Amino acid sequence: MFKEFAKGLSITFKHLLPGHSTTVQYPHVKLTPSDRFRGLHRLVPTQDREKCVACYLCPTVCPAKCITVESAENEKGEKYPRVYQIDLLRCIFCGYCVEACPVEAIEMTGEYELANYRRSDFDFTKQRLLR
Amino acid sequence: MVTLTIDGKQVQASKAATILDAAMGAGITIPVLCHAKKLLPYGACRVCLVEVEQMKGRLIPACTTPVTEGMVVTTMSPEIKKVRKTVLEFLLVNHVVDCPVCDKGGECDLQDLTYEYEVTTNRFKDAKFNLETDERNPFIERNMNRCVLCGKCVRVCDEIVSYGSYSFINRGFDTKVATAYDRGLDCEFCGQCVSMCPVGALLPRPFKFKARPWQLKEVDTVCGYCGNGCTVTLGVLDNKVETIRFNDKIGVNDGNLCVRGRFGYSYINAEERLKRPLVRKNGRLEPATWSEAMEAVAAGFEKARAEKGLGILSGGRLTNEEYFYLGHLADKVLKTPHLDHSGGECYKGLSQGLAETLGIKASTGTFPQVEGCDAILAIRSDFYETHPVFGMVVNQAVKRHDAKLAIISDKKGKFTKLPGAKTLLTKPGTEVAILNAMAQVLLTEGLAVTEGVTGVEGLRAALADYAPQAVAAKTGVPAEAIEAAARAFAKGKNKAILMAYGLPYSAQSRELGVAAANLAILAGVFDGEKGGLYLCGEKANSQGAIDQWILPRPNGMGAQAMLQAAAEGNLSALYVIGEDPLLSYPDRAKVAAALDKIPFLVVQDLFMTDTAREADVILPAVSFAEKNGTFTNAERRVQRLRPGVKSPGEARSDLSIFALLAARMKDPLVFTGPEAVFAEIAQTVPEYAGLSFNAIGPEGVVWGGEHLATKTRNLVAVKGGEPLAARFQMVTGSALFHSGTLSVRSKGPMSALPEPYAEFCLEDAAELGLAEAQTVCLKGNGEELRLKVKVGKRMPRGVIFVPYHFGSAGVNRVYRGETSVTVEVSK
Repeated sequence: MFKEFAKGLSITFKHLLPGHSTTVQYPHVKLTPSDRFRGLHRLVPTQDREKCVACYLCPTVCPAKCITVESAENEKGEKYPRVYQIDLLRCIFCGYCVEACPVEAIEMTGEYELANYRRSDFDFTKQRLLR
Repeated sequence: MVTLTIDGKQVQASKAATILDAAMGAGITIPVLCHAKKLLPYGACRVCLVEVEQMKGRLIPACTTPVTEGMVVTTMSPEIKKVRKTVLEFLLVNHVVDCPVCDKGGECDLQDLTYEYEVTTNRFKDAKFNLETDERNPFIERNMNRCVLCGKCVRVCDEIVSYGSYSFINRGFDTKVATAYDRGLDCEFCGQCVSMCPVGALLPRPFKFKARPWQLKEVDTVCGYCGNGCTVTLGVLDNKVETIRFNDKIGVNDGNLCVRGRFGYSYINAEERLKRPLVRKNGRLEPATWSEAMEAVAAGFEKARAEKGLGILSGGRLTNEEYFYLGHLADKVLKTPHLDHSGGECYKGLSQGLAETLGIKASTGTFPQVEGCDAILAIRSDFYETHPVFGMVVNQAVKRHDAKLAIISDKKGKFTKLPGAKTLLTKPGTEVAILNAMAQVLLTEGLAVTEGVTGVEGLRAALADYAPQAVAAKTGVPAEAIEAAARAFAKGKNKAILMAYGLPYSAQSRELGVAAANLAILAGVFDGEKGGLYLCGEKANSQGAIDQWILPRPNGMGAQAMLQAAAEGNLSALYVIGEDPLLSYPDRAKVAAALDKIPFLVVQDLFMTDTAREADVILPAVSFAEKNGTFTNAERRVQRLRPGVKSPGEARSDLSIFALLAARMKDPLVFTGPEAVFAEIAQTVPEYAGLSFNAIGPEGVVWGGEHLATKTRNLVAVKGGEPLAARFQMVTGSALFHSGTLSVRSKGPMSALPEPYAEFCLEDAAELGLAEAQTVCLKGNGEELRLKVKVGKRMPRGVIFVPYHFGSAGVNRVYRGETSVTVEVSK
């Protein structure tokens, strides 16, 4: 019984040795998330405008109802989102918006440092999402 | 009846039914793109293909194939599915598939079918069209790249609206729907084509990119403009009416609307709406609380009652419940006999004329019956302009059922252009003479129905002066035409006589009503299975106002008498509800003098109207889209209004304002809401007996039944007016794009017709050297009007038409309630 006890503890101690830890010293050390990680959203720009055509599929599919879109017509007669806002406090990062988008205008980045001080800072407007 | 089997189910259908009709009746769905229940079968899209056992070897379109006895139909099989999928692939070859930016997305038939039949790939390839979008009008966007050539727009415009804007042009793959010479759409903008389009080829421009269909809350209510009583479905987003949805499921209008109903909604959301009560303090109108305002109103009314009296003048767009409460207020609380509504003067044909002849005060038939009539007589061609959707029923009667249409009018109009329509173009003010002459023809030729009719001999004697020849000399209508019209009308089995009433048509109102009723009695209009005599009020609830008797009480003054008394200083207060007499009543000088002289004026309205500017207290009221209650349309149909949006600011419904006033005046009677008032109406108003607020279904309830029984059939002799001898005379009336003075607050009607005009005929314009859009000066009754010229083929020589809707034009400075005004024309 003692043998098994020592064997078990040796595994524990092995993990205490340097180089065996899975935790990192955040914020001094930061991990790079995988490509499939669902972090902060990004609206994809094209040359002169956002790719988004304000089709309202993302606010429709969003289970948390955190996306606000208001469409309008620009000078060229194209449909564009006059307002595009995500309330990140409500967002559950399910990624349905990305899946629903017919023009690949929204994607999710690896950015996960989203803490902030004021509620209003969690309202991500079109300007903040277009990067 | 025919019995057939559809998908193993025994189905009964009428002989004239198609397979699609039979299937729909049995609750079996067959997909369609080009079919609409109000249009004739067409068979353009081939999506409705089904298998019929007796016709093996090929698939049969369900929408065009009539049922036969013993037919065995299969609506779904692997083969049918494959063929339908191929049809969709063909349709998608040229379709642009820009669903993300197409406003139809979410309610697009092509999209739904593509999804249902899982058309994910296309075996066929061809270039997509790159046609220019037609945005040359403010209402309808035409993007022909999305068109699937179902032809619904072409057919609805021809069959129902009878305008004929569209047709197919080019051939083969290049076929497209276009307007004349492909010049872009310029029509009456009723939007029927938009409502029919199964894809996003035709879309309403005011709603462009505003929202997705699934985001809208849909509220079924009744249009607040004219007396047609069409069901409108408000598309509400964030407490704002964003569009009027297509709805052919309920209501009397079969999904048809006019430009006002479909595009004239923006006044509901207007920023200029009155939001707070205003009370005049030291000569200025200042915002006040409701209690301050009611205090001022009550004090003013009490003072007026102690002095020379209080007059109440209502508009035509209050609900039945509000009218009833207003009557109660006048009788029991404010205790004044001086009560009238805008129709008081101009609906005398209804309130007096019909009472004398038929013992009733409403139209006798319902609108859908007219479709089955074979002889129709329209008095004044403006009927299509005042009640456009009823006009569409007449179109169908003429085009589908070969009804003989005759029009007695001082100008031509849309009805004139209908196939086979006979227009008796009379001089203004002489319509009664023509009606009399027609009655005379019936009497002398023995065509008249005189059984059970009183006053025949009296009328026969009185009509001695109205022989067709004599009338022809006076009116300019050939005697043969009058005789032919009378004979043709008498020959019909089901007949209808139509006449529209409104503020600009107040002259000879009673006489016209009586003359029309005389002719109706003699021609046996009331003995037919369908049809009847239709005297239609101009506003949404004009009939309700008469039903609830918003008319002078014994010894009370009518609208004109009240204004006269006020101008002479014989009235101490005036309570004007939902009406702008300064703009809409004849003789502006008289109204202005009355409003100027009246010591205390209370105006209850949606907007700061010209009349409201003169007021001592202004009470902000709400539009039809914010009200709960009922309207009674011109065919006696009582229909429910449902609130779609919240009222702006502190505005209150007329009913709740009346309740506030009643409470302030210590009225012991308290109503809990429209439902309670309606219950009271059902108790007191005989015609409404037995009706229940919550039992009013989607089709409404027609009081008095499909045929309103006439109480008497009494002929009364009336005299017509004499024509003016002047070289030029001005007539006023309603224009299609507007209704009353309310529609000028709406962007839709205003973008179609932003300003008043004076319409001349080509010959007069040429003689006077007038060109389109030039400014012309009309002098009459000592006043002057400056208006833009419109030249057309509608007017006869010497007659100038000016619409009455625009306050800015001041038409009522010249027009003083006569049928026509002698004017001098100068540049």
